[in-house]
Amino acid sequence: MYIEELSIKNYRNYETTNVTFENKVNVFLGENAQGKTNIMEAIYVLALAKSHRTPRDKELIYWDKEYAKIEGRVHKKNGPIRLNLVISGKGKKAKVNSLEQRRLTDYIGALNVVMFAPEDLNLVKGSPQVRRRFIDMEIGQVNPVYLHYLSQYQKILAQRNSLLRTMQRSRSEEQRVMLDILTEQMIESAARVTEKRHSYMKLLQQWAEPVHHGISRGLEKLEVIYKPTIDVCEEQELSKMIEAYKEKFVKMKDREIERGTSMFGPHRDDLLFFVNGRDVQTYGSQGQQRTTALSVKLAEIDLIHAEVGEYPILLLDDVLSELDDYRQSHLLNTIQGKVQTFVTTTSVEGIHHETLEKAATYQVANGTIERLR
Amino acid sequence: MHYPEPISKLIDSFMKLPGIGPKTAVRLAFFVLDMREDDVLDFGRALVNAKRNLIYCSTCFHITDRDPCMICDNSSRDRTTICVVHDSKDVIAMEKMKDYQGMYHVLHGSISPIEGVGPEDIKIAELLQRLADDTVQEIILATDPNIEGEATAMYIARLLKPTGIKVTRIAHGLPVGGDLEYADEVTLSKALEGRREI
Repeated sequence: MYIEELSIKNYRNYETTNVTFENKVNVFLGENAQGKTNIMEAIYVLALAKSHRTPRDKELIYWDKEYAKIEGRVHKKNGPIRLNLVISGKGKKAKVNSLEQRRLTDYIGALNVVMFAPEDLNLVKGSPQVRRRFIDMEIGQVNPVYLHYLSQYQKILAQRNSLLRTMQRSRSEEQRVMLDILTEQMIESAARVTEKRHSYMKLLQQWAEPVHHGISRGLEKLEVIYKPTIDVCEEQELSKMIEAYKEKFVKMKDREIERGTSMFGPHRDDLLFFVNGRDVQTYGSQGQQRTTALSVKLAEIDLIHAEVGEYPILLLDDVLSELDDYRQSHLLNTIQGKVQTFVTTTSVEGIHHETLEKAATYQVANGTIERLR
Repeated sequence: MHYPEPISKLIDSFMKLPGIGPKTAVRLAFFVLDMREDDVLDFGRALVNAKRNLIYCSTCFHITDRDPCMICDNSSRDRTTICVVHDSKDVIAMEKMKDYQGMYHVLHGSISPIEGVGPEDIKIAELLQRLADDTVQEIILATDPNIEGEATAMYIARLLKPTGIKVTRIAHGLPVGGDLEYADEVTLSKALEGRREI
């Protein structure tokens, strides 16, 4: 799939802009603070109805305006689709081919994107929260039902934590019964989330290993390991996960009350990366951590392609300059001719690659975009 | 622009209603000014009467103008079954169906630790009192199919277990007259789970 046309209105520092793109590499050139990242973010939000930079939608709206609007015409295998997303103080409204989608989970997935931004270099060494967000965004794009189970889980978790907090101070028989009920509810959705994470991370591992092998010139073997708070074996069934959670919660009930918070479940999951059998987070060099992050992101492209049947759109925000020549050309070779890519950079000097020389270039200055060549 | 005080007070009152913002409130207020005086008086009286004359039934806690309410007072209804719902609007929805002949019990809320609503804050104890004699044989839990409604249903089911009374939960699934292809995945998977032999 690729984006043919993008219109944005009242979005961050853009008032009204309309641009057409080509199905190859599109480069946004410009000084700092002109709106390069904002345009990347707009594409990301068009796909996922959520920013990668902020949880507050209000920040996306141009200063003093009531709403922001992003529209895109996307070319897909089965014909073009039009996406329309309006963000206002009251919430978000999403349309596909002018048809309003009742739930955002019906909308997400129409356009698939993979974003690689400087923050993503933190994927390996950052906090587990960064990795959980990564997992959720990726599975959500290819399997929207996952988002439903996840939000269900988060609601139950909030209720349960609130109950545990009050029980920490004083507890009644009613509260004990209520805790059992919330635990039962939580186990059900926790197992569903864990099952999906488990199977998708196994797929990701399968795609990431060969990519990493290539980037490291055949020297490194990458393993991506999903680490939930229960023990899972290779072939995992939902019913077994439910059993495992049950056992854990029964055993730890008193400790959870003592601590006043839920200690197990998908909100404590993590993703581990091993290179040649060693934990990259603890023992890996800066370079290895970067290569790992890059491999995982590139693997995502293949994963989405395998699941959805089309290549997603790749957004490279200010990262090309962060990679050395070898990794740069490896990256550009991988996407060549199949993935529509958007790149932001302050200058293309120093990057010599066929793909970039043929790229469409746009000048971004003070909230306007102009095609250069 | 300043409105004369009577109008601004009226606008302010309309804005207290749900779903009414400043613009609609102004429109409604000016509409009232053009209405016949009798109609306005009737309207005002209706508002006051609804508030003053309505009470909760002391048995089922449904809104009513007399106690016990019409449903509890109706001797032709089946007293062996109680349908437990979240609020009075649910009773009205059930009654529209005209198929259910049993009694009701309105909880006036669902259990939600986040909002500080525990089992003691909704009419659960009152429900248990109604089960003191052996009249009631089935409790139908018809709370909303969301997380809080589900938790409330599970809580009541657990409380009733020792009594041996039959406890049932209404089914989730596909809307009647709908198309299978338009159902969302979650509803479909729930419907599949609750399938039955025919």
